[in-house]
Amino acid sequence: MNSEEPPPNPGAPQTPPGSQPPGPPDPRRQMTGRQRLAAGLWPPRVTRAQLVVALLLFVLGLGLAIQVRSTNDDSALRGARQEDLVRILDELDGRTERLEDEKQRLDDQQTELETSSDQAEEARKQTREKEQQLGILAGTVAARGPGITLTVQDAGGTVDSDMLLDAIQELRAAGAEAIQVNGVRVVAATYFSGSDGDIEVDGKRIRAPYRFKVIGKPQDLEPALNIPGGVVQTLEREQATATVAASEEIVVDALRPAQRPDYARSSS
Amino acid sequence: MIAVLGLVVGVVVGLLVRPEVPAVVEPYLPIAVVAALDAVFGGLRAMLDGIFVDKVFVVSFLSNVVVAALIVFLGDKLGVGAQLSTGVVVVFGIRIFSNAAAIRRHVFRA
Repeated sequence: MNSEEPPPNPGAPQTPPGSQPPGPPDPRRQMTGRQRLAAGLWPPRVTRAQLVVALLLFVLGLGLAIQVRSTNDDSALRGARQEDLVRILDELDGRTERLEDEKQRLDDQQTELETSSDQAEEARKQTREKEQQLGILAGTVAARGPGITLTVQDAGGTVDSDMLLDAIQELRAAGAEAIQVNGVRVVAATYFSGSDGDIEVDGKRIRAPYRFKVIGKPQDLEPALNIPGGVVQTLEREQATATVAASEEIVVDALRPAQRPDYARSSS
Repeated sequence: MIAVLGLVVGVVVGLLVRPEVPAVVEPYLPIAVVAALDAVFGGLRAMLDGIFVDKVFVVSFLSNVVVAALIVFLGDKLGVGAQLSTGVVVVFGIRIFSNAAAIRRHVFRA
C-alpha cells in the first residue's frame, strides 16, 4: 500500500482512530513499537484501558463469529440484500408462471387422452357386445337363458330327418335363439340327413332319444310344438313320443368353430 | 493481553451460543464488523506509536460502527444500499491496509 511511512505527527489528517493529539512527554515514547507491543501483551495487567478494549474486542469477536456463521448458513438468502431478494423473487415468479403454463398444457393433454381412451373403451365395449350376439347366432359361444327341452323317444326307429328338420323350423319360427340337438349346435348351415332312426346332423351321427335344448320364450315355443297337426302330433303318429318341458335355465353349450369365409368380406 | 483474551472469548462465545440476530440489525452487522475492525487496527497502530488512549479508542470504535450502519441504512432507503455498502467496505479496507502497513513497520521494521 502506501510506501511512505505516515507522518508520526498524530494531528495529521490520516490520524488513525484511537490516536490522540500529542500529550505531555511520556517516558514510553522512548520505547520502540515492538517493545510497547511486548509490554502490552506480557505481563497481563488489569488496567482500565485493557478492560475497555477487551470489552469492545469481545463485541467485535461476537459480531465476527455471528456474521461468519450466518454467511456459512445453508440458505444463501440469509445475507442477501433487499434488491437481490426482489430479483430472486421475480425470477421465481417467472419460473412459477412457466411451470403453471406447462402444467396447464399437460393437464389439457391428459384430459384429451382420457377422453379419447374413453371413446376407444366404449367402442371396444360395443364391439364385445356385438361379438357376443353374433357368436350366439353363429354358435361360437355358449348361451344360457329360459327355454324348453324337447325330447323325442324313437323306440321303433321310425323318425326321419325331415321330421327333426320340421321341429327345428317350427322352433325357429317361434323365436328360438339358440338350439342344440344331442350335443350338436344348430346354426344357419345345419343340415339333417338319413332316415328311420339313422340320422346325421351336420355329418355327425346322433341316436335316439333326440334331445333338443332350445333357448327362447317358453310361452311361444311350447304351443308352437303342440299345435294340432304340429311337430308333436306328427311324431306321435309315427309311434315316437315327444315331450316338451319348459325351463327357466337352459344351457346351450355345444360350440361350433368360427369359420373365416373364403370369399365374402364385410362391406361395412 | 486481556484485550486479546476478550477477542478470543467473543469469537468462541459467538460460535458456541449461536445467538439469533434480530432481523432489523442483520443487514448492518457485516458493515459494523468491518468498521470495528478498522477501529481495532487504528487502535493497535496508535498503541505501537505510543499514543493510545482508551477513551479515544472507545469513541472511535462506537462511532465507526454507528456511522457505517447509518450509511448502509441511508443507502437502503435511497435504493443504493448495495453500492454504498461496497463503498464503505472499500474505504475501510483502504484504511485497514494503511494501518496494517504502519503496524508492519513497527513490528518488522520493514
